[in-house]
Amino acid sequence: MSMSTVTARRWVFWAALAGFVAWDFAASAPVNLRLEPPFIAAGSGTPGSGGHCAMPK
Amino acid sequence: MNTLASPIQHTATRPPGLWARRLPLAACVLALFGWLVWSVSARQGLLLLVGVGLGWGLAAARFGFTTGWRHLVENRDPAGVYGQIILLAVLAALSMPMLAHFPETHAALGPPSVSLLVGAFVFGLCMQIADGCGSGTLYKAGLGVPLNMGILPLFALGSFAGSAHLNGWLALGAAEPVGLVPLLGAGGALAATLAGLAVVTVGVGLWSGQHFSPRRIPSRWVWGALVLAVFAALNLFIAGQPWGVVYGFGLWAAKAVTALGLFDPAHNAFWSDPGHAQRLRETLLLDITSITNIGILAGALWVAPRRPQDARPLTGTQWVVGLIAGFVLGYSSRLAFGCNVGAMVSGISTGSLHGWIWVPMAFLGTLVGLRVRRHFKF
Repeated sequence: MSMSTVTARRWVFWAALAGFVAWDFAASAPVNLRLEPPFIAAGSGTPGSGGHCAMPK
Repeated sequence: MNTLASPIQHTATRPPGLWARRLPLAACVLALFGWLVWSVSARQGLLLLVGVGLGWGLAAARFGFTTGWRHLVENRDPAGVYGQIILLAVLAALSMPMLAHFPETHAALGPPSVSLLVGAFVFGLCMQIADGCGSGTLYKAGLGVPLNMGILPLFALGSFAGSAHLNGWLALGAAEPVGLVPLLGAGGALAATLAGLAVVTVGVGLWSGQHFSPRRIPSRWVWGALVLAVFAALNLFIAGQPWGVVYGFGLWAAKAVTALGLFDPAHNAFWSDPGHAQRLRETLLLDITSITNIGILAGALWVAPRRPQDARPLTGTQWVVGLIAGFVLGYSSRLAFGCNVGAMVSGISTGSLHGWIWVPMAFLGTLVGLRVRRHFKF
């Protein structure tokens, strides 16, 4: 497979991903910097609260 | 032949202008990092860099969970599995004291359940057909491998469908998650985990006829394991939760189908949960696994100029089978409470019992998946 084909494939993939992220950012609720999570969770006093695939609910 | 070297030898060439080709990527990652720190969250900026490190480690070391298992079964080559055991041992040694010391951090605790048994078996089967687990699909897509690029959106859809059906699967029977660190303390949990890994190591040595010796394993498995362990531990330290992959995929698809009016999260047990509902409303750039996934893709792309893609073309049937396997892979990863990363690496290294149930079930699935793979001549 030629290098240009591989490069084109990567461009299409990254353009689609960037487009999706940009659409999501525009369509989602605005970021409230006052509610920013702690820089480092460990030792912050604020429990981690992100989503994880091991979570049953 | 009694060597641990993988029979598949890849040649890494250094094409001309390597750094010139990497410079735009480095500039993009730095720009995204700066923008995240300024406009979204400093933590998310940091986690992007952690993801880049993970993606670099996976791609540069060619640290494939799927291929490691395949080479063990088909060639009695235990190098990849020994690399994974090193990763689990080092990461457990880093994570368990952290979990015990910092109450803000938590383990990857999935419930032992019917869902876990079925999901892990099916996941192990499909990952051999799709030639990649959660992290493998990500980094190979980032390298530009066509099948994995095609699988990624279907994996995301499957992951979303699995999460939407999760409550129904849990109703078939589930126990409370078991964490070794609260049960035995950090020292006891680490000792139990290392003992379990030692038993696996002896078993792998007996099966392959090649006993564990770090000096006989190709170095990429050793340094790859160490790089991944350090960045995965940083993920736990910074985010407060272990490294995960498939939650982000499911979230991306959930956002898309919700926006298209095909799904109402308010009427779904999983997605109406306040935490998940909030993540659906806010940008995915605030989601931990989403940002590390983007970082992994970028980290793999950093390695891409040194890894010319020589994937052979697939037939139409192989494409169809591979894409279906990709969808089922995503679905089963949610039933199994994680893939090789979320359930095996993060589960075992943070002392979750479900990780130890996941591995034998996924390995049984792999034994079937290898036959399916051969049948379709992948």
